[in-house]
Amino acid sequence: MRWVRKHLLTGYAILAFGYLMLPVAVVILFSFNAPAGRFNYVWEGFTLDNWIHWDAVPGIRDAVVKSLEVGIVSTIAATALGTVLALAIVRHRFRGRGFVNVLVFLPMSTPEIVLGASLLTMFLQAQVVTGFVTIFIAHVMFIVSYVVVTVKARLIDFDRHLEEAAMDLGAGEWTTFRLITLPLLAPAILSAALLGFALSIDDFVITYFVSGPTQTFPLFVWGAARVSVPPQVNVVASAIFLVAILVMIGNVLWGLRARRARETMPHAVPLPEQLHQPEAA
Amino acid sequence: MTFLHRHKWLTPYLLLLPGIAWLAVFFLVPLGFLGYQSLQSGSFESGYSFTWEFSNYWDAISTYNEQLIRSFLYAGIATVIALLVAYPLVYWIAFRGGRWKNLFLILIVAPLFVTYLVRTLAWLNILADEGPIVNTLKTLGILGSDGRLLATGFAVVAGITYNFLPFMALPLYVSLEQIDSRLLEAAEDLYASKRQAFLRVTLPLSAPGIVAGTLLTFIPAAGDFINAQLLGTPRQSMVGNVIQSKFLELIDYPAAASLSFILMALILAALLVYARAVGTERLTG
Amino acid sequence: MTMRITRRELVQRGAAGVTILSLPGLLAACGGSSSGGGGGGEVADTLRFSNWPLYIDYDEKTKKHPTLDQFTQKTGIKVDYFEDINDNASYFAKVQGPLSQGRGIDRDIFVFTDSSRYPQLLVSKEWVEPLDKDKIPNISNLIDAQKSPTFDPDRTYSLPWQSGMTGIAWNEDVTGPVTSIQQLLEDPKLKGKVTMLTEMADSMGLVMLDSGDDPSVVTDETFDKAIGRVQKAVDDGQIRRFTGNDYAQPLTKGDLAAAVAWSGDVVQLLASNPKLKWAIPEKGAMIWTDNMFVPLEGSSPTASTYMNFVYDPKIQAQIAAYVNYVPPVKGTREELAKTDPETAKNTLIFPSDEMLSEVHSFSGEALNNEDYIQKWQTVLGA
Repeated sequence: MRWVRKHLLTGYAILAFGYLMLPVAVVILFSFNAPAGRFNYVWEGFTLDNWIHWDAVPGIRDAVVKSLEVGIVSTIAATALGTVLALAIVRHRFRGRGFVNVLVFLPMSTPEIVLGASLLTMFLQAQVVTGFVTIFIAHVMFIVSYVVVTVKARLIDFDRHLEEAAMDLGAGEWTTFRLITLPLLAPAILSAALLGFALSIDDFVITYFVSGPTQTFPLFVWGAARVSVPPQVNVVASAIFLVAILVMIGNVLWGLRARRARETMPHAVPLPEQLHQPEAA
Repeated sequence: MTFLHRHKWLTPYLLLLPGIAWLAVFFLVPLGFLGYQSLQSGSFESGYSFTWEFSNYWDAISTYNEQLIRSFLYAGIATVIALLVAYPLVYWIAFRGGRWKNLFLILIVAPLFVTYLVRTLAWLNILADEGPIVNTLKTLGILGSDGRLLATGFAVVAGITYNFLPFMALPLYVSLEQIDSRLLEAAEDLYASKRQAFLRVTLPLSAPGIVAGTLLTFIPAAGDFINAQLLGTPRQSMVGNVIQSKFLELIDYPAAASLSFILMALILAALLVYARAVGTERLTG
Repeated sequence: MTMRITRRELVQRGAAGVTILSLPGLLAACGGSSSGGGGGGEVADTLRFSNWPLYIDYDEKTKKHPTLDQFTQKTGIKVDYFEDINDNASYFAKVQGPLSQGRGIDRDIFVFTDSSRYPQLLVSKEWVEPLDKDKIPNISNLIDAQKSPTFDPDRTYSLPWQSGMTGIAWNEDVTGPVTSIQQLLEDPKLKGKVTMLTEMADSMGLVMLDSGDDPSVVTDETFDKAIGRVQKAVDDGQIRRFTGNDYAQPLTKGDLAAAVAWSGDVVQLLASNPKLKWAIPEKGAMIWTDNMFVPLEGSSPTASTYMNFVYDPKIQAQIAAYVNYVPPVKGTREELAKTDPETAKNTLIFPSDEMLSEVHSFSGEALNNEDYIQKWQTVLGA
């Protein structure tokens, strides 16, 4: 009974992850399917062909590359803008704070179709050519809100005493930010970036309006779906998923190595002298 | 840099500048145009003209109150379920995840990397009438022999919940992760049971995360259309579907615009009520 | 504070990097627009063609479109082929901006389906250029059924790309043959296991035919009669859902007994599940056609040269072999029979004359009647 109680939470976590991963598992499974027709709905046989010839479908390769490019660039920009915005809102009193708070929530509450269409109208009036840049602009615009809200959740209960302590020990403001605040904020920033990247890579409606001739992966899938859902779509989706997992596993393993290295080199830990840096002018 | 020291008041404005500028140009301006459209009248064929047509708003509310109510209902249910499902999971990751925390975070978000359409097709596969899940439910008597899971309100809410789960989970994680476990140890040293420790220490400290998560889930879910479109029947249509229809099929831009503003206004109203209930400090920090 | 300024610089540098990344993209876009011609005049050296994805022949080994390359070889005109049309309504929403201001969209050909309101709208708003018929002698190869559609009776502005038929598909494992719309809407054995299409032209057209009315001439009475039948079926729970082509998976799996379905889908689905059947309902079926138009400021001579090329049965056979929809060019079946007799025998791709006499189109005028559209959208739940 005690054993059950103790592992109840872990058991739940396994179930919850199972629920989350269930459709992904089906997607990965069907990436190995060999359908006779153009639709990948019924299991017909195992093949590695789709993975080998993953770009046999015209346009899929360009679409994936574009999605990744847009995703990475917009996530970096939006995370930066949003984090800075969150810092301002939480840590400072200024005129218009209420307005800024509301403004941050507005893009999320606007239906994507009107957001995309009115953005397109604006681009047309300004004679801006639609394409990669306009997709980037639109993505940053709607991702920023999510970043702000996510980072704020961490900043609200942030223990300022740690920063105060560092400054009492002689650290300058930039040093304190770099060595205390930022590392403590890192999980929040990472989470926000993850969310932002997912938003970007999965976006369809807004992207459609401002993309011009450029195709991203979701646009490609929706357009192709009228005549075909090729297994290569599953392959690409599974590949993005697996690469993300592998990167994280690699991250953990690399972190283990670094920790072990630090354990054998005690002086790698920053010494008090390093914290006591004169303020840069 | 001494300039900034003398003018410390400038700091927040400088921090705000890039983000606000971006939103001002690429969100507020288009929104202004949308507002202008919402007060137009006419039709696509004969052309639109700006006539301060406030009746667009009244028409929108009176005709589509059913979809508006349903959208808030579905979004609300989905948000609550997402919170209940995500919280224990995120708690486990934050406190028991160890060095693999980031990996688990990716696992939560990763379903979003698989395009929406492909994800939904997979669910259509899993929840098919002849599939294992429905058959089990029928055997257990939960579903009638004629019953189905797909093309119901259940399917739509389930779809919304699943797709927005990461948006609930990640802010929750952000808040839970920073809780110092020594606080819990201290509580237990002071004779608190595990339950009391959770209720009096963990839960309140995770409040900012709960608030953030519910907002990031409820707000976009209220405007969602795609889950109702692929998983529902006409009886499950949400206000997002109406806006799609007005915009694309009827090419009635004033109607679409005014309905969008109604939706935004209702969401902001709900936000205000929520802020009051929760305490504004938790929202604005 | 030093840190804050550095953060802003980071963002600025990031933005600059993005501009550099996209400069080639911008230049390419500018380059594209300068090589196209506007309106009439000479044949340009590049054809800019927007189409639906996977809707033209494709060679997986060379990763090219053979017929496009053959066109370039024959005429010297390069083809910039874009697969950026995902859906009629959204694509129209995207292009109506510049077109309504009298500006072009940097394309010489785009494609719209005549079961949507847009072909009629494009013609009545004069957002398309007339074809250069002198350059299209092969227009005589156009099959008779397509010679005079309601939105373009003289084929002044458009020519079909491919067609498809809308009929009833059923799953033999779940039900016996479903031969009429009446059965679809009223047979209690099928309750909750049938779907109709969200396309008004397809669904309402079939219901009108079943009621004995002509969908190419819609009146308020015939429309209301048909809407009433559909609404009743929805209220009774007979119709499970209204779908785009997402009926395909449930139908294949047996969740659905029958569905209003497109012939092109069934060609593909049959390969995966031979228990699927498609037929023209007793009282008739609908036919829809994706039509090529020349948008404002597009080069009509260049576009017309291409259309003439594609109306050669030899070329059309190559396209039909890959795309598997109904080609609009006479003689295609005979050409294809030389290299691919199996496909040439498929009546879903090459309907018999008898089948062609049973298919109808929906009135373009009715498609643009706001009243009708709203009534239909209300049935759909919007």
